[in-house]
Amino acid sequence: MRVRRRFGVWTQRQNRPNSAAMSLPFPTASDRATVRASSVTLSRGGRTLVRDLNFEAGPGDALVITGPNGAGKTTLLRAIAGFIHPDGGDIHIEPAVTGRIAFLGHADGLKPGEAVRDALSFWSLLQGVDSAVVEPVMRRMAVAHLENRACGTLSAGQRRRTAIARLALSNASIWILDEPTAPLDAKSRARLADLIADFRASGGLVIATTHAALDWPDQTQLDLTEAATAARVSA
Amino acid sequence: MWSYFANPERFDRLAAAMLPWTWGLTVLLFAIGLPWALVFSPADYQQSETVRIMYVHVPAAWLAMAAYAGLGVSSFVYFIWRHNLADLAARALAPAGAVFAFLCLVTGALWGRPMWGAWWVWDARLTSMLVLFLLYLGYMALRGAIEDEKLRARAGSILAMAGLINLPIIKFSVDWWNTLHQPASVIRFDGPTIHASKLWPLSIMALAFTVLLTALVLTTMRTMIVERRLERLERQRESRLEAEAAL
Amino acid sequence: MSAMALFAREVRLAWAGGGGPAGPAAFNLAALALAPLAIGPDAETLAAAGPGIITFAALLATLQPAERIFGEDVADGTLELYALSGVGLAIASLMKALAFTLAVFWPLPALAFLGGLAYGLEPVSALVLSAGLLLAAPGLALVAAFAGALAAGLKRAGLLIALIAAPLQVPLLVFAAGAGRAAMDGTPTVLPNLMMAAAFTLAALVLAPLGAAAALRARLE
Repeated sequence: MRVRRRFGVWTQRQNRPNSAAMSLPFPTASDRATVRASSVTLSRGGRTLVRDLNFEAGPGDALVITGPNGAGKTTLLRAIAGFIHPDGGDIHIEPAVTGRIAFLGHADGLKPGEAVRDALSFWSLLQGVDSAVVEPVMRRMAVAHLENRACGTLSAGQRRRTAIARLALSNASIWILDEPTAPLDAKSRARLADLIADFRASGGLVIATTHAALDWPDQTQLDLTEAATAARVSA
Repeated sequence: MWSYFANPERFDRLAAAMLPWTWGLTVLLFAIGLPWALVFSPADYQQSETVRIMYVHVPAAWLAMAAYAGLGVSSFVYFIWRHNLADLAARALAPAGAVFAFLCLVTGALWGRPMWGAWWVWDARLTSMLVLFLLYLGYMALRGAIEDEKLRARAGSILAMAGLINLPIIKFSVDWWNTLHQPASVIRFDGPTIHASKLWPLSIMALAFTVLLTALVLTTMRTMIVERRLERLERQRESRLEAEAAL
Repeated sequence: MSAMALFAREVRLAWAGGGGPAGPAAFNLAALALAPLAIGPDAETLAAAGPGIITFAALLATLQPAERIFGEDVADGTLELYALSGVGLAIASLMKALAFTLAVFWPLPALAFLGGLAYGLEPVSALVLSAGLLLAAPGLALVAAFAGALAAGLKRAGLLIALIAAPLQVPLLVFAAGAGRAAMDGTPTVLPNLMMAAAFTLAALVLAPLGAAAALRARLE
């Protein structure tokens, strides 16, 4: 299977006026990234999960990885993030600049004793993002009213929203999201979809795994079920 | 050369061919060395019969250190080139080295009683050996605590390399800590000062211990290769049954 | 810039989280208080054993919170974020260990001075011992951090860290205590001992972060 790049899509979207997106540290023309996987084979604990997988995803794309439990969704995601070396084939990211990938795993990456604002200010500082953006991002993910709360006292959904706000402050051109919507209610899910739409409109690339339907526009699905794998390999 | 022997099948055949010879040589060397060292070699005019402990104590100390050097080197090879055989070698060397270190400590204590009048003296070399023994224990404890096979090998290799870098530093600081120690009396730049009547049985015992270590490591590695093959077959069977159940 | 931001955050987190310096300091103090009860009140014996017991107590205190240094990052997903941040895991490990030294282990040299007085050392000797520990403390923390990185996320990590780190900390123990002993005995090896302690801290400064980063990368895989 080959996921086609849709350059046309992002150039159209870029022209859409969106004042909120302009203030966010989203990719500019120079740091748009492309992920290319060629004949990737991944295994975990001696079991081959993904065999001979090819795909390519570029600026503006949303690649959604689906499949049952144990199909290798998280493993593939971590391989794209560079944590796992594939057993075969390779995953190539262009341009190869460090600090350009934002990651949201099963854990939210929050410290229980740290206030929401302190956490977000730190990550913006670490990634060289203007601290003035922290405020609007917190409002967008509806955590502004929680800014002084310690992350350990937040609900699962609130924690997730804070973690998503961190993505928006990461100055990254690729977002890698593992089950991003799991603890989110419908309204928060819409906020995420909206944020992702803006990110993609400015040339960002989103790669996510999911159990639930995400309903992001123009998403490309990568099915890791056995049947789909077999079809891919035989094709 | 590494990649040539990195093939487990080839290694297995080579080891299978070598093992009877290695074990045979071990038995032969001990059959010569043990009676010579423990019965026929002359008693020391100062230490009388207790000097015979040396024939076990000193080779055990050498081998404990050599095994750690081997552990460090195979860990380095595994860390850089990820050859599984290097990890198997490290895994096999650690318990063997730990046993030699323990043997060295026990014989040291037995020797210390008549020589120093105490079971344990904080002599620099004995203390260094105790720290080396702790390094072995730490290495094996770390490997034992990690479930994932790959992580176990990687973490183990990193710790073994750190230990190898640290070992001379530990040795140096322990020597500094205890400056009243016997200078090493066998290997010196101006030639051995130990009398030939003792050097011969000592050399044969050292050789016997070395061949024993080789035999132990090769045997353990072969066992582990078979274990690994068995596990892989079970995994394959598992996933086949799982696929059938899914249909 | 990014590294400094990380350092500042880690100081903040280490200071506030898990009781900050209180835990190791209390642990150190308890060890110092209990040792004489075991040894006996003889002033001469206590003074002779003083530098050793004090340094050893400080070493144990650095092992006590070592599980936290990377264990929490592994559990809460921060490790992945640091790995991708562009700062690099080696620099992140270095910053974390230094932040931990500053925020959590700062009372140890002070306790060494007070403990030295309590064990009957001359003020000058107690000060030398304290200086030795000040030079050794970052090294001790770095070795503990390296062990913590290897054992991060494992069951019984605390015990494992102690077993891994203790032999590697031997040189720092020898020279920090050695400085105190030399000052007490009036031998002229005070300065060499202090310099050796500093030298091994510097060596740990270079090597321990590399080892910790390698261990953490293996953990991420």
